[in-house]
Amino acid sequence: MSAAPSQELRRGLFDGYDTGGFYDEMFSAPGCPRPHYSKLLDKLSAMAPEHFEERRKLADLSFLIQGITFTVYSDGQGTERLFPFDLIPRILAHSEWERIERGLAQRVMALNLFLQDVYGRQLLFKDRVIPRALVYSCPHFRREVIGVEVARGIYTHICGIDLVRDSKTGDFCVLEDNVRTPSGISYVLENRLVMTRVLPDAFQACEVLPVNHYPAELSRILRSLSPRSEDDAQIVLLTPGIHNSAYFEHSFLAQQMGIELVEGRDLIVDGGVVYTKTIRGLNRVDVIYRRVDDEFLDSLTFRPESLLGVPGLMGAYRAGNVALANAVGNGAADDKGIYTFVPSFIRYYLAEEPILNSVETYLCAKPDDLAYVLEHLPELVVKAVGESGGYGMLMGPAASQAKIEEFRDLIRRNPGNYIAQPVVPLSRVPSYDSASGRVAGRHVDLRPYCLYDGKKVTIVPGGLTRVALQRGSLVVNSSQGGGSKDTWVLRGEN
Amino acid sequence: MLSRIAESLFWLARYIERAEDTARILDVNYHMLLEQSQQSYRLRWAPLIVMAGEQNLFRELYGEANAENVFEFLAFCQDNPSSIVQCISKARENARTIRDRISREMWEDINGLYYMMARFHPPDEVAAGPHRFCDRIKFGAHRFHGVTDATLPHDEGWEFLRIGWSLERAEMTARLVDVQYHNLLEELPVAGAAPDNHQWMAVLRSVGAYEAYHRQYHSTIEPEKVVEMLILHPQHPRSIRFSATEVQAGLRAVSGTGTGSYANEAERLTGKVLERLRYDKVGEIFKQGLHEYLSDLQRMCRAIGEDIARTYFYYAVVA
Repeated sequence: MSAAPSQELRRGLFDGYDTGGFYDEMFSAPGCPRPHYSKLLDKLSAMAPEHFEERRKLADLSFLIQGITFTVYSDGQGTERLFPFDLIPRILAHSEWERIERGLAQRVMALNLFLQDVYGRQLLFKDRVIPRALVYSCPHFRREVIGVEVARGIYTHICGIDLVRDSKTGDFCVLEDNVRTPSGISYVLENRLVMTRVLPDAFQACEVLPVNHYPAELSRILRSLSPRSEDDAQIVLLTPGIHNSAYFEHSFLAQQMGIELVEGRDLIVDGGVVYTKTIRGLNRVDVIYRRVDDEFLDSLTFRPESLLGVPGLMGAYRAGNVALANAVGNGAADDKGIYTFVPSFIRYYLAEEPILNSVETYLCAKPDDLAYVLEHLPELVVKAVGESGGYGMLMGPAASQAKIEEFRDLIRRNPGNYIAQPVVPLSRVPSYDSASGRVAGRHVDLRPYCLYDGKKVTIVPGGLTRVALQRGSLVVNSSQGGGSKDTWVLRGEN
Repeated sequence: MLSRIAESLFWLARYIERAEDTARILDVNYHMLLEQSQQSYRLRWAPLIVMAGEQNLFRELYGEANAENVFEFLAFCQDNPSSIVQCISKARENARTIRDRISREMWEDINGLYYMMARFHPPDEVAAGPHRFCDRIKFGAHRFHGVTDATLPHDEGWEFLRIGWSLERAEMTARLVDVQYHNLLEELPVAGAAPDNHQWMAVLRSVGAYEAYHRQYHSTIEPEKVVEMLILHPQHPRSIRFSATEVQAGLRAVSGTGTGSYANEAERLTGKVLERLRYDKVGEIFKQGLHEYLSDLQRMCRAIGEDIARTYFYYAVVA
């Protein structure tokens, strides 16, 4: 298998491809494709660069016309942008995916049990699994929901767990958990749709597991949360509105599930019950898939100035008249300071050993760790515990001296707010570089989407592969110039 | 249906219609004046600004009206809230907030129209004259109607679209006739000169009624008949009567009211307007004064719009 394609490569897209000393998802050694990539490589190698470029433009146009854009906030005013899509898919072998799937399911169950415990009986503090102060000081821990009984005991209905493959070991490890309002699944579904239109033959040749059952599965779980009968459950998706960076996804999911997309101003609480305002009067709501953050949900309970939520919503939630997915207070589980304890949760609640590794993490709240971090800033990644989406982050090796000093100052002033990790040399996938018209290695991560119905965890095969399209960059967040790829999990081996 | 969604559908349709009607008005004026003297060509653009109701803004931005700046103002000006680019952009914003409720085809169509607008280079278009540009807008609006009709279930949401574009069309046709009639009357001071039929032909063409006129009347173009066609014709899709009938049908479909009664103020006013359009004769209209008649129709259209909002869109806070 190895000689023929490498001959082709020298003339085509893969001309001069260099794995650069990183783990390359496609090649085990220069010119030597991994078995699960060989069919794709055959197809791509047979394609002239101009032909590939043509397909790529077709994909871009398709995203633009469909309005699949996101909004970036960095200059104070939001700008609508295309989420760059790279045509070369990321492929996972079936056996590797099965192991990831087991690891993720285990992690989601443990996080859910942790949240049940924290907002319920709080046995973990008595058993000294984690200090109470550490949990209570998380910025997204919510005292207001202690003792609230959530529908069917589910907190983490939807989790997006970020995985990276460490080039040093070749193994996947968990980089962070997102269990509040993770976004990106719409790109998984749309990327797949565009991919099957633009490269149908390669797709068919590889025998890829489907992903499009996600909306139906999510819809089933939401329906099961209804305080009234499931059959006439009224389910809505609550969005902050058109200016939110993930608005496209909100409307996409609402449409796919056939539920109403609402803004806070469309809802009203009367007598502890939530209603939508319709052209024929008020209509009761049973389940809210909310994509509005906790602190904006209810101006009577959280931020009084918020116009995005519904005054009185928390009262209806406490009374059990409406279910929310995800639950309120989940930010205690995906806090970057809590992250280091998740393996202990898995051992404590499930009596199992964690299947997926974590990244070594220094908690600046601990004096020893703090001293180490301050000494090694240029080698580390520093993250603010309550932030997500690549905001509030220091990338040590790439940062200017001034930026490092700025963070040194920030950390000293509020050590509890920061954690640090060694820079993980992310694996790379061949990606199209429009400047050279050839393919080059670019770093990727992987965010699978996990749905939990209280009994089992369902994960659509693959997830969102985010790719740092800038040469050498390790930051994959869309807000920081990252793009995405379709992710293929193959049906069987090869 | 959520009140907010009904409102967005209503405005989405109105903005598309407004863009189309503005394009029609620009195009007809252009063609009408091509056959006129140079001097007349220069003078006859100001009424379009009056029609848009933006005299003050225009004077501030451009001063004296001419073919180029009126076209630019009505088509491209970002400060003019009713310019064609603004209408398309607002239509898209409305569509975007309800894209889960409209068909994928509708969204892609309107999004495509928006990007087509963005590709126009205003100075080039102004230099080339309005015809090419206006034609694209008209075509875009027609395609939107077709895509909507063929892909959206004809349910309540569709009714709000129908009410929106029909109400807008009734009002815009009233404006168009009002302004052009006024415009043409001023052309007549040459005593005994035969009225210039070419200009009335242009008016008919602007609403796509030229051929229909000939089929209907088998005669030369006469101002009274043209006016009759545009105001009172029961079947021509751009006549005021036809548009008002559509508004009534939409309102009744939403409320479930039968003929002979009304469920809200908007339906009552629409019924009143239709009574007049059904039973008035064009001679009576002229006797009473065309301008007054048309101004009154425009006022009624605005009142109907306000009552639709009160009935279906605005929510009194529940105590």
